[in-house]
Amino acid sequence: MVFLTLSCWIRNRGPDRFWKVQELLKHHADLLSHFRGRKNRCYKLAVLAVRRAFVYATKSRKLKKRNMRTLWITRIAAATREHNMKYPILMHNLNKCSVQLNRRVISDIAITEPRTFLSLAKLARARQQEGFRAALGDGKEPSGVLSRVMLQ
Amino acid sequence: MSSFSRSAQQWATFARSWFLIDARMQPPGKIATMCSVRLQGKHKPIYHALSDCGDHVVVINTKHIAFSGNKWEQKVYSSHTGFPGGFKQVTAAQLHLKDPKAIVRLAVYGMLPRNLHRRTMMQRLHIFPEDELPDDIRANLTEELPQPREIPRKLSEYTQEEIDAFPRLWIPPEDYKMK
Repeated sequence: MVFLTLSCWIRNRGPDRFWKVQELLKHHADLLSHFRGRKNRCYKLAVLAVRRAFVYATKSRKLKKRNMRTLWITRIAAATREHNMKYPILMHNLNKCSVQLNRRVISDIAITEPRTFLSLAKLARARQQEGFRAALGDGKEPSGVLSRVMLQ
Repeated sequence: MSSFSRSAQQWATFARSWFLIDARMQPPGKIATMCSVRLQGKHKPIYHALSDCGDHVVVINTKHIAFSGNKWEQKVYSSHTGFPGGFKQVTAAQLHLKDPKAIVRLAVYGMLPRNLHRRTMMQRLHIFPEDELPDDIRANLTEELPQPREIPRKLSEYTQEEIDAFPRLWIPPEDYKMK
């Protein structure tokens, strides 16, 4: 045994542990206030919970992009079904007309500008009909108006 | 739409509608897909899973539902009571006789997302075996949805002129004996 006398047992550790604890709890108070149970109050549990929260935040930066895209697609599909059309038909025909609106913009249009969205749906329908005529016809009819794509 | 005030427009967008579906001579699966889409709110461009945008759906005449193929005899609904030896298997025909609402209810239950909203969505689904509706539900209905399947006409519903006008493929000879 090294520490043979009582005075040798006394260790001089850092003086500021209490303040460091309070700093963590106050610094991340906005984050910790939404946690459940003792994780929002007690230091040992809060440290682990905060670290886990940061890990989830980094991982979900990629998931957020995926989730937002599926939400936009769901909303566009709902709006196209209101106009008796389906989502893949709309997107395929808008692509063929070289309308380069992304799903975020189209879903916002579907919510706030219903008449603009109706015009997009009609455009896609017209392009679809032209595609059918080009495929089923004998080539004697002139190629359609919307099929002549100007922008590459 | 431009004549409505902003608050009235917002109230109309987020209001909860009541849909009516007549299930007479319809396949229960197609009825159930229509129900589940409207119960989740996926028919609205403002859909979000957390925003509670589902509507009410009322299904009538579920007693007169029509499975295609041999499903009345072949489709099996299984359940377990929890006790040993309690595995029960019932054909669709037997289940329909016992409870005419069960087939549509189970079909819709299986098509909803498996989360905690499913039970509230099932609360918003109202199934009636026959045409009769309570007055308070009848007062709430806003829209009737078209039936997914076109009901084919029975031979007795065709007029004699239409039967005669139909082209005959083969005329049997005089001494042909029909079974």
